[in-house]
Amino acid sequence: MADENIDCRGMMCPMPIVQLTKAMKRMESGQVLEMMADDPGAKEDVPAWSHRTGNELFETKEEGDLIYFYIKKK
Amino acid sequence: MSEEKKLTIVVTEDTFDKAMMSMFMATTAAGMGVGVHVYFSFFGLNLLRKGFQPELPEKYKPMTGHFMEKMKGMGINSMDDMMATATELGVKFYACSTSMGMMDVAVDDLVDGVTVLGAAGFIDVAIDSDAQLFIG
Repeated sequence: MADENIDCRGMMCPMPIVQLTKAMKRMESGQVLEMMADDPGAKEDVPAWSHRTGNELFETKEEGDLIYFYIKKK
Repeated sequence: MSEEKKLTIVVTEDTFDKAMMSMFMATTAAGMGVGVHVYFSFFGLNLLRKGFQPELPEKYKPMTGHFMEKMKGMGINSMDDMMATATELGVKFYACSTSMGMMDVAVDDLVDGVTVLGAAGFIDVAIDSDAQLFIG
């Protein structure tokens, strides 16, 4: 379902947000990114990033320590 | 969110912790669509010198390598790498001209893309920013 995937496992702040920003720059409007992260800070950081940039975080799933974020580029 | 927000950061020290902290904040804010302006003054100016490798302060100094190793495992590379990422994301760097004079630093000693200015020039940039951080 996603147009692009990024694996941020093992990365800590600020790298997941840096990778997320870089991925968004490569993508087209309306495309969906699946982001995988296990930085516990990402749970607050990704929604904050979404709120600020206007790219829609429409789904979050947690599997143990792993968090999946689904973001639609505005 | 319609108009761009602006963050200014002032860095007055050259230790590893403060250097990295400034770049964490700068890259994150830039990634959030914020215009970021970082002013390096006093010892902070060293961070703009080509090839400068910051170390932890005083009693923590021997732990610098350990910290760098741990950070590498988290996807965070050197200060050089963080500064390159910041530049790529549109962060602007400024060098304090008085500090350059005090510390005998020439324009050629600085990394590329730095604007040299004095306090008035930076105040002009900072005065209408939405948030300021002082790291020193």
